[in-house]
Amino acid sequence: MMEAATQTSANRALDAVTVTGLTKVFKSGLTKRAFVAVRDLSLTVKAGEVYGLIGPNGSGKSTTMKVILGLLAPTAGETRIFGRDSKEVTSRSEVGFLPENPYFYKHLTGLETLLFYGRLCGLSGARLKARAAEMLALTDLEDAAGRRVGGFSKGMLQRLGLAQALIHEPRLVVLDEPTAGVDPAGSRKIRDLILSFRERGLTVLVTSHLLEQMQEVCDRVGIMAHGVMVKEGRLEDLIAVENQTELVLENVDEALLGRIREMVAASGDGARVVRTGSPRTTLERLFLESTDEGGKGQK
Amino acid sequence: MTTEMKSGSGFSVSRVWTMAAATVTQLVRMRILVFLVVLSAIVVAAGFLFPVFSAEQQLKMLKYVSFGALQFFSLVLAIVATALLLPKDVEDRTLYTILSKPVPRVEYLLGKFFGVMLLIGGGLLLMDVLLCAVLHLRQSLVLAQELAFLKQGHATAEELAVEAARIEAQGVGWSLQIGVLAVFLKAGVVTALALMISCFASSTLFTVITTFCVCIIGQGQELIREFFFHRTFDAAGEKIASGLFAVLVPDLRLFDVIDQVVAGDEVAGGAALFMTGAGLLYMAGYLVVAHLLFVEKEL
Repeated sequence: MMEAATQTSANRALDAVTVTGLTKVFKSGLTKRAFVAVRDLSLTVKAGEVYGLIGPNGSGKSTTMKVILGLLAPTAGETRIFGRDSKEVTSRSEVGFLPENPYFYKHLTGLETLLFYGRLCGLSGARLKARAAEMLALTDLEDAAGRRVGGFSKGMLQRLGLAQALIHEPRLVVLDEPTAGVDPAGSRKIRDLILSFRERGLTVLVTSHLLEQMQEVCDRVGIMAHGVMVKEGRLEDLIAVENQTELVLENVDEALLGRIREMVAASGDGARVVRTGSPRTTLERLFLESTDEGGKGQK
Repeated sequence: MTTEMKSGSGFSVSRVWTMAAATVTQLVRMRILVFLVVLSAIVVAAGFLFPVFSAEQQLKMLKYVSFGALQFFSLVLAIVATALLLPKDVEDRTLYTILSKPVPRVEYLLGKFFGVMLLIGGGLLLMDVLLCAVLHLRQSLVLAQELAFLKQGHATAEELAVEAARIEAQGVGWSLQIGVLAVFLKAGVVTALALMISCFASSTLFTVITTFCVCIIGQGQELIREFFFHRTFDAAGEKIASGLFAVLVPDLRLFDVIDQVVAGDEVAGGAALFMTGAGLLYMAGYLVVAHLLFVEKEL
């Protein structure tokens, strides 16, 4: 019995985020009318994966994130980060957070902002300066290091938000609508950064309304509605059409296509060609190629 | 259960200092120093105004106007700057990025408090140095003029010594520094009070108006106790009501030593110590209540 409990505890420590039976009730107004924002929610984000929390406005995504980050206290249940209760301030030393539409102190420059957040995380001296320079380079903000944040564009603010979230080398990055309101080039840059986080072994918990973008970066997703989790699983499993197979060919003439159709028809067992045609590029790719913004990002 | 109750993070002076330094930078870059320059100019101008007054009156008026400027500077900054800080961080979501780092809420509050106090202290120090310089210069000038005038009238050495002592009593001395300390302590109490109010206020305007009203009531606390409580309650009731009132509203008359300082009278050491103790007690009390309110605040 004890061994099983120890095992469960060890597994929990391996998971980046565990949410168990979370309920959050807000009471507002003079009558203190209760509003249930999240109801008995449980989820697990495994270390090293990109987990997408999606759902319509008011579905409880941001509330869940705030409880995970210790910004809100749960009404019931608990949340843990790498095994540590979110109520413990030390649990946040492993987390970097980018809020939706972040604003920073307008009077600080890009570099000063990163130094400020770095110091709050206990960094100092040469290590802090080196880390800030590294983050500016990673987010393509080197040219804006000396500029006041008040003059930054939305995309630049978003990237500065990512830089401050990563300044203390956290193992978990929590991103709330990271591409909201950002132009396609800036959005592409942010998604590339998220993909690079996965390659570097970072765990990412991300929310977004932009489902196609989530589809591109997430390993697993949870779909929330009215404060409860309605569907959760590996993205590939959730969106695959199980009885169909995709075959993309290049430099194929009409005769070969005809032979393939005949072979499929002859094979029996209900096999059939559902559709043929030229695959289309995405509007995003077309935009990036047309505006030559693909590799530049947004300055 | 609050988000801080299970905090395992030790208190960090360095994080408080980082918050305080950022607060000072924020307020300085909001052009607060222009305000300081204007008030300093008033101090300098006051040194050369009122030429028709007697030598002693000229020095008294210089001190009176200067202390008015010192009080105006410190109280406006204590109320307005403090009222602005917390709601602005919530509105801009800067608070989310700060508190999602391993920063206990008490450190955030103390950082804001000490930031405002550093700025007020620095401003008062500069104005104090300026006041001492102008007062010393003006005193030397009027003393030389007075003595020259008396010598022309064939005054005796004893008369000259009396006049010199009378003018020197109006010059730079320890009581002047105790006066500046009183202004600083009063501003500290008002800053802590404004910070406490902003922890539950819904807007900056509410904090400014409420703090301003409490300051006015605090200035007339003695009168209110005498006129209302004395007439309404019996002896025991009056004592309880006065005690409660003194806890809820700071007795700002405790810090009014300016009249003594302007008159050139010595402020007793015991009175200065009592004033300092009461000021520190009020600040500590308001900060503890501010923390209790802020730690429960849903962000």
